[in-house]
Amino acid sequence: MPIESTALLAGVPELMMLRLLQAQEMYGYEIVQAISSRTGGIVTPGEGVVYPLLHALEKEGALKSRRKTVNGRSRVYYALTGRGTKKLASLSGDWNALNSVVQKVLHAV
Amino acid sequence: MQFEVLSENLLKCGIAPQYVRRYLTELSEHLEDLTAEQRAAGFDPEDAAIRARARLGSDDELAGAMLAHKDFRSWAARAPLAVFGLLPPLVALLGGFTVLAPLVLCARETGMVTHGGINAPQWFRTSAAIACAVGNFAIAPSVALGFALLATCQRLRDLWPLLAILVIALLDLQFQATFPMLGHRGGALGINSGLWLFHLHGFSETWRLAATQLVLTLLPAFWLLHRRHATR
Repeated sequence: MPIESTALLAGVPELMMLRLLQAQEMYGYEIVQAISSRTGGIVTPGEGVVYPLLHALEKEGALKSRRKTVNGRSRVYYALTGRGTKKLASLSGDWNALNSVVQKVLHAV
Repeated sequence: MQFEVLSENLLKCGIAPQYVRRYLTELSEHLEDLTAEQRAAGFDPEDAAIRARARLGSDDELAGAMLAHKDFRSWAARAPLAVFGLLPPLVALLGGFTVLAPLVLCARETGMVTHGGINAPQWFRTSAAIACAVGNFAIAPSVALGFALLATCQRLRDLWPLLAILVIALLDLQFQATFPMLGHRGGALGINSGLWLFHLHGFSETWRLAATQLVLTLLPAFWLLHRRHATR
């Protein structure tokens, strides 16, 4: 069941996008499907709303894009840059720290 | 046109046209993928299109995602006073220098310029006259039209392009090339503000040129007002 609270998910799609794009270049639709399938549908970014996030990441230099035709379909593919790799490392660190303290609080007796 | 309402909303909220175009292009491509997915799941074309559009998100959701990023707003929307009040005279001056710079460079490099002034051959005088005509009758109207189109593309209030046109009209750049008879040294090539020339020489020597320039510069303003009247 997808998480309804957008506040709880703040920053999560961005982190996942960066991680996915670290492995390979992808286009928007592919990114949304990959996040949905890898999280078992728990995290499903809005189909159309991923683009402003991708464009913002590209504007800050974390991603680069290029138009590429594959199997006769032309799409914009995104890939991680050096700055994006650093951002991913930083966000991952923050996420792990946050996750660890939230777990502590939740499991405190 | 698909996403026409979304496009209009984003532009009216100040999102730069290049970001709007790109967003809509990628949304259209995403919608094609979603439709194909629905078709592969067994839905007929009409149902597939409806389901795909619903999955893409409502216009409000799609607009909200874009508007959450303030960086996507154009400079014209963020600082209209600077863009339409300060930039027009700078652009007009830059245009003027671009027109005259090749002639000035040419005169310097070919040794026409001496202590006694410019010893200009006929071809240079003709070129200078053409450059001044372009400067006097094309630059200010082109810059005014450019700012009118910029505001129209970005769905800004008419106030801003009218301000730009007013500033350009008040600046009233006048290009001058004056040379003595052939074979004589002397002469000058330059840009001046009509207001300054008026101050120096009085109304009689500059009014014809100033009036013609004013009418040409105001044409985009009439176009804007006509357009506004026609769309009501």
